[in-house]
Amino acid sequence: MTVVIGFEGSANKIGIGIIRDGEVLSNPRRTYITPPGQGFMPSDTARHHRAVVLTVLKEALEQAGLKPADIDCVSYTKGPGMGAPLVTVALVARTVAQLWGKPLLGVNHCIGHIEMGRLITKANNPTVLYVSGGNTQVIAYSERRYRIFGETIDIAVGNCLDRFARVIKISNDPSPGYNIEQMAKKGSQYVELPYTVKGMDVSFSGILSYIEETLFSMLVEITERAMAHCGSQEVLIVGGVGCNMRLQEMMGVMCKEREAKLFATDERFCIDNGAMIAQAGWEMFRSGQVTELEDSWITQRYRTDEVEVTWRAD
Amino acid sequence: MAATDGGANQLEFSLDVPFPSSREAEIALRSLSPDREPRKGGIRKQLTVSGSKLSVKWSADEARILRVSVNSFLDHLSLVLETMEMFGPPVSQ
Repeated sequence: MTVVIGFEGSANKIGIGIIRDGEVLSNPRRTYITPPGQGFMPSDTARHHRAVVLTVLKEALEQAGLKPADIDCVSYTKGPGMGAPLVTVALVARTVAQLWGKPLLGVNHCIGHIEMGRLITKANNPTVLYVSGGNTQVIAYSERRYRIFGETIDIAVGNCLDRFARVIKISNDPSPGYNIEQMAKKGSQYVELPYTVKGMDVSFSGILSYIEETLFSMLVEITERAMAHCGSQEVLIVGGVGCNMRLQEMMGVMCKEREAKLFATDERFCIDNGAMIAQAGWEMFRSGQVTELEDSWITQRYRTDEVEVTWRAD
Repeated sequence: MAATDGGANQLEFSLDVPFPSSREAEIALRSLSPDREPRKGGIRKQLTVSGSKLSVKWSADEARILRVSVNSFLDHLSLVLETMEMFGPPVSQ
């Protein structure tokens, strides 16, 4: 039996989750929400996380009904993400790991999303579309690496949607993307916009006035291309933008045409959360990885394919 | 008081933080030392433990850079202290 606690705070969500052999025992989370028209800045976000992190940690333990002695490993987000918030959370993880005498594990945030997606959906070896405010990547597993097949050449799709929401002052509560989706459901007029796919990659910065149809179509295209290259019959969507039902619907149409299966998780797990870091940590820990304290520095840039995926077979 | 020639005229700042035990001072050291300074240059920081005391020494080119780094460090230190208060004392080794 292996129990792992995971700390996540790389953007405006702070979450701490506990996993025991594939069971999510607790996964509390808080979101830093800014007024309409404003995005979230690193130092304000770090301040938000700082104010609640210890409370959320207590909640995670209480809701799981566990004591620190029951934990086997402390995992935290090493990167990528915003520097100040990452440090705030890493400090607490390092400190409790030492106080409780437990090994520490630095986790790649993107891999956290992937491993949580695999756990919840039981997808076998899917082509992964990772879409969020900070990241847009199409990923396929091969020989101990999560290979980045395609990605945005400029900004993440979620960033594009968030900036659009800011321009027209849509509320950020619970998230700008959610509110765009609700409003888009009532839309009837499709406006033709620049559609920018370059081979495996996409570009979003040129088309900031947006409607989901165009952005999501671009993502479906590059996912399909990666599936064709890899001979894959499964798609897994992870990341906050993955909550969007229209994206799932459009991806579902493509999958049906190819007789492939589509997998996605609900907002508990596609939005950043602590349990996903715990899950990736669980996999890494069980395959013998540990992060020494001197090496536990956080990093704003951390590519998905930099990590050796020691827990999956060739 | 800004020195811009980076070498001889560095601004220096030191801080000593007492802890209830050397173990706890070490824990604080190991939590606070891994992350690099966000700024590319102009500031250097060194953390050491002696007995149950954590010592921090800065040397910087400019007062502004020094202030930001010291401020940041004190915020981080207070978070580490609060964590130790809430979840300590450390388990016996």
